[in-house]
Amino acid sequence: MPPTSLEKPFVLWRHLNKLRWVVLSVIFAMLVLLPFIHVYQNYVTAYAYDLLAPSEQRLYDVMEALTDPFVSDPARQLDAVKGTTWSGTFWGWQLSDPLAALGQMSAGLTVNVSFLLTALVPVVLTIVFGRFFCGWICPATFLYELNSNFAAWLRWADIKTGNQQFDKRLKYGVLVLGLVISAITGAVFIAAVYPPAIIGRELYYAVALGGFGAGSVFFAITLLFDLIVARRGFCRYLCPGGALYSLLGRYRLVRIKRIVENCIDCTKCNVVCEFGLDPLRDNFGQECNNCTACMAICPTEALTFTLRPTDVAAQGPGHLGRHFKP
Amino acid sequence: MKRRTVIQDLALGGAVVAVAGLPYGLSRLLAPAGEPRPLRNYMRPPGALKDDAAFVSACIGCGMCGEICPPRSIDFHTRDGGDKVNTPFINPVRKGCILCNKCMEVCPTEALTVVARKDIDMGLAQIDETACYPWVDQGICGACVGICPLGTKAIGFKMWNQYRPYIMDGCVGCGICVEVCPHPSKPIWIVQRTPTIQTQGTA
Repeated sequence: MPPTSLEKPFVLWRHLNKLRWVVLSVIFAMLVLLPFIHVYQNYVTAYAYDLLAPSEQRLYDVMEALTDPFVSDPARQLDAVKGTTWSGTFWGWQLSDPLAALGQMSAGLTVNVSFLLTALVPVVLTIVFGRFFCGWICPATFLYELNSNFAAWLRWADIKTGNQQFDKRLKYGVLVLGLVISAITGAVFIAAVYPPAIIGRELYYAVALGGFGAGSVFFAITLLFDLIVARRGFCRYLCPGGALYSLLGRYRLVRIKRIVENCIDCTKCNVVCEFGLDPLRDNFGQECNNCTACMAICPTEALTFTLRPTDVAAQGPGHLGRHFKP
Repeated sequence: MKRRTVIQDLALGGAVVAVAGLPYGLSRLLAPAGEPRPLRNYMRPPGALKDDAAFVSACIGCGMCGEICPPRSIDFHTRDGGDKVNTPFINPVRKGCILCNKCMEVCPTEALTVVARKDIDMGLAQIDETACYPWVDQGICGACVGICPLGTKAIGFKMWNQYRPYIMDGCVGCGICVEVCPHPSKPIWIVQRTPTIQTQGTA
């Protein structure tokens, strides 16, 4: 047995994928919870408990039990966290999606500096961590990955699911087309075809305003597209936000690297990669979202983080694999 | 079929159509001139850009104005929207605006900007004097005047008839009066300010 490398990934990094699922779940739960909190605030502001229907009183009681330990004045203090991943406010600190800033600029053909500043922190984080939003925050990713797992169950039951391959550059065309349509129509059209914006909005419409809007139909179609045509097809080939983050994260500093001495060429990393990348051949590219699923599944500790602006050049077959000839 | 019967049938058909359309034509001719009342009087949230095209291009559809609105007044265009889709509006028949400023403060773009309460311009209330109870039959109502958050600066009575409401210059178009109006046809509604619209002056 040839000697393995002394370089090992830090022991906690293979558990980052679990942390990622916790983060995704918390953000999705918040998006579900915030509309309920708003309805509760509405009842509180109106001093209307005795006028509510029994179901509304139940909602009031549940939300009161959830928030009472943290706030004394729910009508005001619960305003601290509002919004969605598209644009939100946290204790007075406003954050926006970079795509929102770009879409609004192209729709209005103006530069609104105060709004651009709200997208500054996400842009800087994207330049450092690449497309991390897609893997760690996006509420649509939460549902799309569950959808991928559902597709795996279907395959286990001998039901065929789609695995078409398209050109990954398609999404840059969608981004440009969306911005051009936004500029022509003068409305932020791109918000209507961007799943995380749709989900935040539709959850609010569904809970607080009594009905899903048009976006939920679009999102259901993308779920079916992922199931029938291509695995994670919307994120891989069509998402305009993913295109923007891929461009911003092209020279990201934090990226995943294969330790070729530990690799046994088992291809698990390629199979588990939701974005269809090729960690086995050191080919991460700008689309990697640092989701660390490949790190979590690697049986030989052959994947680790590195700080460098470009991928490591192709290193050939793993030194513990069958194809390696020293 | 003979040519004669065909011509007779056509003439009969034309006559039937003309007679059937007569009531509508007469009512159009006899109707008083003037702007027809809008079917739906939706308005933008307070502090919105006056040019609606500019508002639509400034709004990113994040929904935060609706999510922070205490009385849940703000609704969103969905399937009826066209290019206005996901932009906010207030339907005063459902819920008026309470002028609390929260939506203006939370809006991340310039779509809603913070303005002083007296400078808010969502529109101007108009009263249909052919339907409002006190205006029609000397009834006793005054619900709109009683609820108005701006008081006599926006809507008030004239001395010689205690219950006929008059709109004043200070009206900002919050729509609370529309919400509380007890008449089923809502004879008070909000229109956008234009130079031709007259109010009853300042209070």
